[in-house]
Amino acid sequence: MATQQAPTPSWLETRLPLCAAWRAAVTDYATARDQPYLATLPALILATLIFLLLSGAVLSLFYVASEGSAYASIQFILRSVNFGWLLQSFHATGTTMIFGAVYLLLFRAILTSAYKGKGDLAWFLKLTLFILLLATGWLGYVMADGAVSYWSLHNAALAGARLNGFPGVISEWIFGGPAGPGTLARMAVFHVVLALLMFGVIGAIIVANRITAPLPGRRPVAFHPYYTSQYFAALVIFAVIFAVLVFFAPHLGENRLNAVAASPLVVPASLAAPWYLLPLAAIASVVPSTFGGIIGVIAALAVLFALPWLDRSRPGVPTGFLYKLLVWVLALDVFALAIATAAAPSLVTEILTVVFIIWYFLHFLVLTPLSTGAL
Amino acid sequence: MAGSGTQTLAQGGQAASHDASKRDFLKILTLSAGAVAAGAIAWPFIDALNPTRQAMAVARPIVNVGGIAENTALRFVWLGQPIYIRKLTAKQIADNQFVVPSTLPDPAGYTDRVKPGYETFVVVVGLNTGIACELEGNDPSDTRGPFDGWLCPCDGSVYDPLGRVRSGPAPKNLVIPPFTFLNDTQIQFG
Repeated sequence: MATQQAPTPSWLETRLPLCAAWRAAVTDYATARDQPYLATLPALILATLIFLLLSGAVLSLFYVASEGSAYASIQFILRSVNFGWLLQSFHATGTTMIFGAVYLLLFRAILTSAYKGKGDLAWFLKLTLFILLLATGWLGYVMADGAVSYWSLHNAALAGARLNGFPGVISEWIFGGPAGPGTLARMAVFHVVLALLMFGVIGAIIVANRITAPLPGRRPVAFHPYYTSQYFAALVIFAVIFAVLVFFAPHLGENRLNAVAASPLVVPASLAAPWYLLPLAAIASVVPSTFGGIIGVIAALAVLFALPWLDRSRPGVPTGFLYKLLVWVLALDVFALAIATAAAPSLVTEILTVVFIIWYFLHFLVLTPLSTGAL
Repeated sequence: MAGSGTQTLAQGGQAASHDASKRDFLKILTLSAGAVAAGAIAWPFIDALNPTRQAMAVARPIVNVGGIAENTALRFVWLGQPIYIRKLTAKQIADNQFVVPSTLPDPAGYTDRVKPGYETFVVVVGLNTGIACELEGNDPSDTRGPFDGWLCPCDGSVYDPLGRVRSGPAPKNLVIPPFTFLNDTQIQFG
C-alpha cells in the first residue's frame, strides 16, 4: 500500500494534472471482478490501429499514389525496401486483425444485447467505427492498384459519375470525376483521414463502455494492475494470432488476381473483394444497378442502427435463449454469405446469396422483434 | 492469481519471502522478454527508413580506373556533379611535386592532393571554384592552360594537373570528393 501522506504536487502536475487523470482513469478506477476477456476488444482494436498507423506511415514513404505507379511502388516496397515485405504484410494482416476484432465486437454486442438502455450510444459508435473501417479498408484495397482493385475503383467512380443530384455531387467531390491518374492520390488522403477519425471513435467507445460496465459491487478491484494484466494477456494471445497470420497466411482472404498489375483493357475473371468487404459487397451487388447497390448498403447498415428499437425487450431483462440462437444463426448466415460471394458465380451461389441476404434482413426486421417481444 | 498471492503473504515468514523472490524473478523475466519483443518489433520499422541497397548503389558507386590512359581524365557524374579522375604523366608529377605550397593561391602539397600508394591518380569535382562552370582539359587535345591542367572556359581560371588553382578569379583548389581505392583499378565513392 502507498503511504497515506499526500505528496506535494509537482510543478507540472499543478499545471497539467496528468497524474490525477491517470489515477482516476486507471489506478483508482474501481471495477467488477471476473470480466470476460472479450471485454478487452476495444483496447485491442486501438492497439491494432496504432500498429496500422505506424506501418502505414513507413509504407507511405515509398508508396506512390498514382495509377500505374502505385503497383510498381508496392513491388519496390516488397523487393527493395529493408523489411518492406514484412511491413507490407504487417499492414495487410493488421487489416485482417482489426476487421476480425470489429466483426467480433459487433457480434458480441448483438449477442449480449449491449445496445439496450444506456448502451445505445456505444452501439452507434461501434457502428460508426465499422463504417469508417469499411471505407478505410476499401480505400486501402483500391490503393493496392492490382488488377481487381483497379476495376473496383473504376466501377465505383463510374457509378458515382452516373448519379444525379446530391449523391452525384458528393461522389464527384470524392473521386474527382471518373477514375484517372490522380484519383489514387485522393483515395490515399481519405484513407489516412478516415483512419485517424477511427482513433477518436474508438476512444469514445472505450469511455462509453465504462458507463455500461458491470457495477463494482462490494469487493471491487482496481483497474491497474488487475485488468491491465488481463489486457496484456489478451494482447499476447492477439499478437500470437497476428504473428501466425503474418508469417503463414500473409494473403489471407485476398483475391489472387489482385497480385497482377492492372490493365485497362483486361477485366479479371473474378472481381471478388477481400474477405472483410464480402458480406457488404454481396448485398451491394444483389440489385444490379447503381442505386440498388447504394440502397442495399444503406439498408444493411440501417437495420444495425435500428437494433435498439427493433429489440422490444425492456432494458435489464436478460436475453432469451431463442434470441441468442438466432444471433448465432445470423453470424453463420453472414459467414456463408461471404463464402457464397467469393465462390465462382453459378446459379446455385446466386440463389444462395439471395437466400442469405433475405435471412439477414429477416433476422433484424422480423425475427428480432418477435423473439424479444415474446418475453 | 492475485488472491492466492495475498494468502501466501498472510501465512507470513519464510513462505512470503520465497514467494516474493519468485515473483520478482517472474517480473524481471517478463519485462526482459517484453523488452526483447518490443525491440524485435521496432527493428523492421526503424530499418525500413534506412536507405535501400538500390539507393546505396547509386550513392556509393564503384568506378573502374584501370582503363584510363596516361594524361587523360575520365568524367562521370556522381550525385549530380561531374567527377574527373585523371591519370598523371611522370612529367606532370615532376613539374608539380616540388612546388612550394606557400607560393600558391590556395596552398596544398602534392601529397594533399593524391592518395598514398595511388599517387598517379587525381580525383576532383570538375567544377570551377569561382563561378560554377565545368572545366576543360580532360582530353590531351583540349585547351589546358599554361600548367597542362584544367582551364575554366567561363572566367579563365587556371588549374594544374593536381587540381590546384594557379591563377584566375577562382579562390580555391578543386574539391576532392570522398572516395577510397578498393584496389589498383577500382575506386568507390561515398
